[in-house]
Amino acid sequence: MRSISRFLLSAAAAVAATAFVAAPGFAKELRILAWEGYADPDWVKAFEAECKCDVSVVFIGTDDEIWAKIKGSEGKDFDLFAVNTAQLQRYIDAGLTTPYDLDKVPNQKETLERFRDLSKVTGVMRDGKVMAIPYAFDSIGIIYDTDKVKEAPTSWKVLWDPKYAGKVLGYDNGEHNFTITALTMGIADPFNLTDDQLKEAETKLIDMKKNVLSFYTTADEALQLYQHNDIDIIFANYGQQQVKTMLDAGAHIAYVNPSEGAPAWLDTWAMTSGVQDKELAESWVNFVLQKQIGQQLSERTGFGNTVVPFDSAKPGDKLVWLRDVEDPTRRADLWNEVKASP
Amino acid sequence: MSLRAGIDVAELDEGRRARSYRIATTALAYLIPGVFILLPLILFLVQSFYYVDHGKEVHELTLRNYVRFFNDAAFVPVFLRTCILCLAVAVIAVAFAYPVAYLLASIEGRRKYVFALAFVIPLMMSYIIKIYAIRAILGSNGFLNRILLALGIIDAPLTFLIFNLQAVALTLAILLLPFAILPIFIALERIPRNVLDASADLGASAWQTFRRVIWPLSLQGTVVAATFTFVLALGDFVTPQMVGGTSGMTFGRIIYSQFGFAFNWPFGAALSVVLLALVLVALAITGLVTRRHPS
Repeated sequence: MRSISRFLLSAAAAVAATAFVAAPGFAKELRILAWEGYADPDWVKAFEAECKCDVSVVFIGTDDEIWAKIKGSEGKDFDLFAVNTAQLQRYIDAGLTTPYDLDKVPNQKETLERFRDLSKVTGVMRDGKVMAIPYAFDSIGIIYDTDKVKEAPTSWKVLWDPKYAGKVLGYDNGEHNFTITALTMGIADPFNLTDDQLKEAETKLIDMKKNVLSFYTTADEALQLYQHNDIDIIFANYGQQQVKTMLDAGAHIAYVNPSEGAPAWLDTWAMTSGVQDKELAESWVNFVLQKQIGQQLSERTGFGNTVVPFDSAKPGDKLVWLRDVEDPTRRADLWNEVKASP
Repeated sequence: MSLRAGIDVAELDEGRRARSYRIATTALAYLIPGVFILLPLILFLVQSFYYVDHGKEVHELTLRNYVRFFNDAAFVPVFLRTCILCLAVAVIAVAFAYPVAYLLASIEGRRKYVFALAFVIPLMMSYIIKIYAIRAILGSNGFLNRILLALGIIDAPLTFLIFNLQAVALTLAILLLPFAILPIFIALERIPRNVLDASADLGASAWQTFRRVIWPLSLQGTVVAATFTFVLALGDFVTPQMVGGTSGMTFGRIIYSQFGFAFNWPFGAALSVVLLALVLVALAITGLVTRRHPS
């Protein structure tokens, strides 16, 4: 509801600003397409006061919706959009983004160490140009029961540990299971596996299946399974969201990012090719990279932010930014074979 | 003469109007199922002959999806396992439904319809909620285990109750029970009272009456009940996922994954056509049995 009224208000403001030059409102306008929680009304208001501009925010619900809106208008309907690094690639390929001038985003130099050198953040740069600036993330790790597992697990291999036979809750998705298995095999790029590597991972996953009680699909389902069964270890596909769901239900659990690396999604701000006022867009990104907003972002959404440390990852944790995999259909087929194996 | 002709024209008009009305209603009657049932099925059939190459659907007719089904070691065993599972579901559901339907049919007067309705009420509940409830009962920290532990009947929780194929069969049988009760109830209810009286008058015992009169007369409904449950269980993909654990892979889940994860719609369509063929066989067998034993 809040988002709708916000949207209507800002849409009305946008109409007022463009249609009547003499009407109250500012000449400058910033049009943002983002996920709920990424451009909260209090931040927008503060930014509007600072930049003397109007900001309109449209919220999206799916990755495909972002594509439809940005590609559909060839980038002309929005100045800025939030997108994860895996999805970002097709926007860059299609020429729908505009590179940043980092000097205009000074707060970027104050971000957490893993986000400071953008050349080390896979996917955000292309041909030496900064195409997107990291904003929020969450990892896929392991949840364990602190009453039953005395020593915190450190490796994905705990999913295979016979000590927890029948007490492991798996996640029902081929892509991520092959990714984490590849990480345990020491493969540097777990998103581009050769056929031999896929076959080897498949054999390993069949072994893992023998240790698993059941595979879940949603965070709520995992919680219900945890409550009614003896479960020690959970493949936490939904990261902090899942941790919060379980803690709220009174579970005694903790979360770790395994040492081989935790796959993690990373949402960024990208400027469209149709950006009207590039400097204004850059000043918004600079504005939301403040420590206070980062803290609020994490507290409100549970996701990690890029400026203050939060629960998603400790400073030393190895995160592997999610990319599109070599062949999703093949992984889904192999995952079916794993599940169908006796 | 002219008067006669006038009547003829009126009659002709009337007849023409009635005929065009009949044609229109017939066309409509065919059109609706044609557009909403037959056409999608045909589109599905056509899609099953396409294929996917590097994430893109190629609109070229080929048999490769069907060849893959028969050649890939993963699919045929799961298909057979699913058939056996669904047969078990049909047998369990009918075994429980028959006594219930019998009891309902033997209630005097209109009360029996009220009771019959009571057995249909579970169908109004969300199917997912029922599965969640069953999981809460059968889990190792579940209701059943807690009661058995509290009563001292067991010392450690029973783990074989859930997350295996037996649990899938049992859960499906419970969920589909109303579909089995109704056809049997209707068949039993239609048996005239005087047929049973005649059997008793001729000196038949209760068991003989059941075996020689009631059972043959209710066979049609029983076969229909078994078919209903078998066919409904075949298409299910939620129950095996939720109570089957790591061994709950059924054919329905493989089809589901082709649409949800693999984005291989043509292959999913081909697998669905295979399943549809099995359903048609099941229906043909039902037709054969019920024709031979008309009630």
